[in-house]
Amino acid sequence: MTSSVFLHPTAAFIGLALAMPFLRGDKWWKWLLLLPPIIALYSVFTVSMGDYGAVTYLGHKLLLGRVDRLSLVFANVFAVQALIGMIYALHVDDKAQHAAGAMYVAGSFGCVFAGDYLTLFIFWEMMSVASTFLIWLNRNPTSTAAGFRYFLFHILGGLFLLGGLLMRYKAIASFDFVYVPFEQMMYYDWLILIGFCVNAAVIPLHAWLPDAYPEATPTGAVFMCAFTTKTAVYVLARAFAGNEILAVAGVVMAVYGVIYASMENNARRILSYHIVSQVGYMVAGIGIGTVMTVNGAVAHAYAHILYKGLLFMGMGTVLYATGTAHLDKLGGLVKRMPWVMVLYMVGAVSISGLPFFNGFVSKTMTIAGAAESHHTWLAIGMEIAAVGTFLSVGIKLPYFAFWAKPTNEVMPLKPIPANMYVAMGISAALCLAQGLYPNMLYTLLPNPEEAFHYHPYSGWHLLQAWMLLGFTGLGFYVLKKTLTPHAGRNADFDKLYRLVGNGVLALVCRPLAWLDGIWTEVYRTIGLRSFLGLADGASWFDRKGIDTVVDGTAYTVGGVGRIAAKTQTGRIQDYLSWGVALVLVVFAAVWYLS
Amino acid sequence: MSFGNWLNTQREHPKVWSGLFFAALVGLLAWNVFERPHEAEFVLDAYPGFWAIFGFFVCSGLVIFVKKILQTMIVGPEDSYDE
Repeated sequence: MTSSVFLHPTAAFIGLALAMPFLRGDKWWKWLLLLPPIIALYSVFTVSMGDYGAVTYLGHKLLLGRVDRLSLVFANVFAVQALIGMIYALHVDDKAQHAAGAMYVAGSFGCVFAGDYLTLFIFWEMMSVASTFLIWLNRNPTSTAAGFRYFLFHILGGLFLLGGLLMRYKAIASFDFVYVPFEQMMYYDWLILIGFCVNAAVIPLHAWLPDAYPEATPTGAVFMCAFTTKTAVYVLARAFAGNEILAVAGVVMAVYGVIYASMENNARRILSYHIVSQVGYMVAGIGIGTVMTVNGAVAHAYAHILYKGLLFMGMGTVLYATGTAHLDKLGGLVKRMPWVMVLYMVGAVSISGLPFFNGFVSKTMTIAGAAESHHTWLAIGMEIAAVGTFLSVGIKLPYFAFWAKPTNEVMPLKPIPANMYVAMGISAALCLAQGLYPNMLYTLLPNPEEAFHYHPYSGWHLLQAWMLLGFTGLGFYVLKKTLTPHAGRNADFDKLYRLVGNGVLALVCRPLAWLDGIWTEVYRTIGLRSFLGLADGASWFDRKGIDTVVDGTAYTVGGVGRIAAKTQTGRIQDYLSWGVALVLVVFAAVWYLS
Repeated sequence: MSFGNWLNTQREHPKVWSGLFFAALVGLLAWNVFERPHEAEFVLDAYPGFWAIFGFFVCSGLVIFVKKILQTMIVGPEDSYDE
């Protein structure tokens, strides 16, 4: 069944977000959360390929719905994960969290279906703002600070993208969002690429991710781990496949992520570093750019969204129940959370590429594609990252969360809502199903014919995977005492950004402070006296003539001032909300008038 | 007995589980003597036991490098980002 009408999922999610504040009553409204993902699922399974929603805005042709194989496979997994994420969040009463989550998902769908850079940019920024709220809404001082850092970084990335697309427009008079061969890339394409790389968490532009994701709300992190980086993977695959620099950068990400994950103590930060690492495989696959590696990268994005969501749900559940995600404070919980452990482990073996789970299919496809195209060193780098992945997510994290230490009978545990289990169960079932029936995944890929030629379940592939993972386990068995996590924060590149920032600040501030000192002195000796004289004159005039006239005005000004003061909360969160609302109104006004 | 209790009691039989684990590793090595890749991707992987050695040494090297060298240089207090 195909439909010639395209129900744009973005509209459904924006509708939900806008309706949120007006929904009253006793929790019945929570069922509405499931409506947009169901509409999105219906839409991606029934729509036929083509262009939808071409509009003219400010004299430019915008394309809101470019539906082809590449955009559809990402939209497909986004719809699935949006449904899982909404089920996982069903118990949450805070409407702001749901609204932010819905806006964020709306933004990703908008990016994936965008046919031009202007549309892409608008939805790209919508994602940035909405995801910042998913961090802030965790409502503690650490998450507030992390949210600011996150937002600053995404502003920077957004500016690279904006600068690039405007310069590109000036040069070629087109906003078309299309493929650019490596040899034909101009300076503005590089700017756009940098903007994309910020969201793809390419080293050294990645530090926002492991900094902010662990501070998001437990349910918000489930959305965030799926959408921002994978939207970036989509745009890279769309515009920059075959860029050899990305191939190398991807493998650096894959290895870098596991190095940091191996020493980290915060479970959600371990998982965050593994997003960097896993997205590295995708970026590498896109960078190598053969049909097989691009297929592999897209398959890996699909599989990754499912198993990473499951891992974040697992650890989010632990955080929800125990109040902490720090491994040094956990341990010995298997008796009291056996099913959380089992469901988490399904995600863990999937990400590690254990046969019969989806990660095995997609990861080996990417690595085999790299090796076949004679990128031997890149393939070895990805195998090294595979070892580190199993070590940190597959063994270390569950061992220190659920097993190490004697049975923990004393830690108070909040009861876990059933919807959390349902969401994790769906993800786990999909991870297993795609592993057992890779064709489920293959039919969705950009080049399914090519994918069907790849058979992961040969004797050698199975043996190789089991040996690699089995002997990684042996390494852990021998060295597990050394690997014991301790409380502490490992400095990453963002410390370097701060150092540079502080240096620039000092360079600019010192001369300015010196100038300011001189000016103050001049003002005090000359300016102040003349002002005092003027003031005497003015006060005489005021007493004699103006007083009576001005009083009325003063009351009015005072009243306006009080109203204005109420909106001036001094919280940038509020200003940002007002700003976004205002921008929407302006957009609408321009739309209406033009 | 509940599932959680059953899992928990397995902690009392570490020898059984580690025995099974080692037996599986030996079995994989034995299998590798007969099962080889059609064409070696990295030259050395044509020999039996390559991926076993690779897995073990990469894992051990990573643990030692990360915990003994790297982390000692870059770790700070938990709140060192909240200045």
